Amino acid sequence: MQELFLWFWTVMLFTSIAWYFFLIFYVGAKGGAEIRRLTQSRQQRQPEKGLDK
Amino acid sequence: MHLAVLDWVIIVVYLIGCMAAGIAMRRYVRGVEDFAVAGREMDLNLGIASLAATELGLVTVMYTAQLGFTKGFAGAVIGVIMAAAMYGVGCTGFVIGPLRRAGVMTIPELFQNRFGLPVRWLAGLLVVLGGVLNMGIFLRLGGEFLVAATGMPAHWLEWVMTALLGMVLLYTVLGGMLSVLVTDYLQFIVKGMGIVVTSVLVIKAIGWSNLVHGLSAAWAATETGNTGAGLQMADHPFNPVHSTWGYVLWQIIFQIAVVTTWQTQISRVLSARDEATAKRVYRRTAFYFVGRFGLPGLWGAAALVYFYQHCGLPVGTTSLNAMPTYLGMLLPAGFIGILLAAALAAEMSTDSGYLLTWATVIYNDLISPLVKRPLSASARLFITRSLVLAIGIFLLFYGLWYEIPGNAWDYLAVTGNIYLASVFTLLVAGLYWPRANATGAFCALVLGAIGPLTFLVVNAHVDKAHQIAPEVAGASSFALAFAGMIAGSLLTPPPTRQTNHQN
Repeated sequence: MQELFLWFWTVMLFTSIAWYFFLIFYVGAKGGAEIRRLTQSRQQRQPEKGLDK
Repeated sequence: MHLAVLDWVIIVVYLIGCMAAGIAMRRYVRGVEDFAVAGREMDLNLGIASLAATELGLVTVMYTAQLGFTKGFAGAVIGVIMAAAMYGVGCTGFVIGPLRRAGVMTIPELFQNRFGLPVRWLAGLLVVLGGVLNMGIFLRLGGEFLVAATGMPAHWLEWVMTALLGMVLLYTVLGGMLSVLVTDYLQFIVKGMGIVVTSVLVIKAIGWSNLVHGLSAAWAATETGNTGAGLQMADHPFNPVHSTWGYVLWQIIFQIAVVTTWQTQISRVLSARDEATAKRVYRRTAFYFVGRFGLPGLWGAAALVYFYQHCGLPVGTTSLNAMPTYLGMLLPAGFIGILLAAALAAEMSTDSGYLLTWATVIYNDLISPLVKRPLSASARLFITRSLVLAIGIFLLFYGLWYEIPGNAWDYLAVTGNIYLASVFTLLVAGLYWPRANATGAFCALVLGAIGPLTFLVVNAHVDKAHQIAPEVAGASSFALAFAGMIAGSLLTPPPTRQTNHQN
């Protein structure tokens, strides 16, 4: 039973390291593009509504 | 100090980049909705970065490493449960679906639609009390990490953390959620690099096989009472149900409540472009929470084995700061700079997200309902920004410059539970039980608060052998809140159709 738990944690921990490594690049690339879209969208909408700041 | 020039360069570049990005977002803030929920334009990957960054602070790293030090790998079972809860909620849309569809800015705002204004106000008060008090300990624990990891003089802690909070306040006050999203994105990347690099170096230094055998040996020594001072383990290092199932069962309830009720998590749901995006953010972020507990836990477990095999804990080192002390000895120049930049990122992302969230609740649910005439957009924005600043100043004195008397962890755990138990009950009943009414909601709020406080008082006055276990205290607060909701609703007239839809 203890061996089973040890295998479980070994898989969880090494997969976590791999997942974090993957996310740095994946979310890094996709998130950067989303920030550009967000700021462009905010820039376009600003003059339309003209709310006070 | 252990820092070399390269370390300082890494840290300064990170801080300048983060501040510049955060402050630049201020030009896009036009009103409270932009400030509080980024105009509801958050997309999937930005949501993943922001949610993951906010919920993995230095305080998290400290207590999860402590779990690893005292419970080995099994301490990360909470992360596995939380990941499963997030994935389940992300698939089903349980609570978060109707919340996003409602178009509210905070959880208590939803309660006005269902239970009326007084319930919204009282729930808002509990959310703010639990949230702000919970956050009170973040700065000091984050500072303790920096002291132990860098070897900087302990009396610098207050000044360093004050400067850090000042930087966070500057960009959060100016740009609100828009700044938080962009800085969270940068902090997510820096933090991710720090965690991966540190984990690989820790495994390389201690050796995986040596780590596993060392944990087994430390547990065997604990069972026979042959460990050095401070090196006793609290439970089996691999089996999370070795002593009892109670704690794990309690964590299942607790984590479902956290992922559906904790306002800083929900603010990402409410900032999402739509319900589908919010659910996808939850599903994609779920596994990150295994590492959130598992990887700092791995560092903590490695610290235990290292000190177990090398003449015990140094003087003044405890289970809480053993991990940063170990990392300070282990990491070479350049790597400690990456770790510290990651640590600063962790502290800043959590602080900014939490400051904004609680300020939004105070404005939206405590102040706004009491204002008779509508305020201008600039006035509302000014009030919300002032609240962020006020919470920051409060935290500075409460959590950093003022020593909390007694056991702060117990106190904060109980206050956090008051909010989670009662607000979770109101959310579930309000969304899924048509018979729930305002009386039931009041009973749930009051009982959810009274229960845990009673446990706190009882535990303060009885000897350790007769104290109530945390899992019993926690589960009871949920049971009391649910009992209050059911009894209060069934013993009074049902809500009318008008009450249910009046708002």
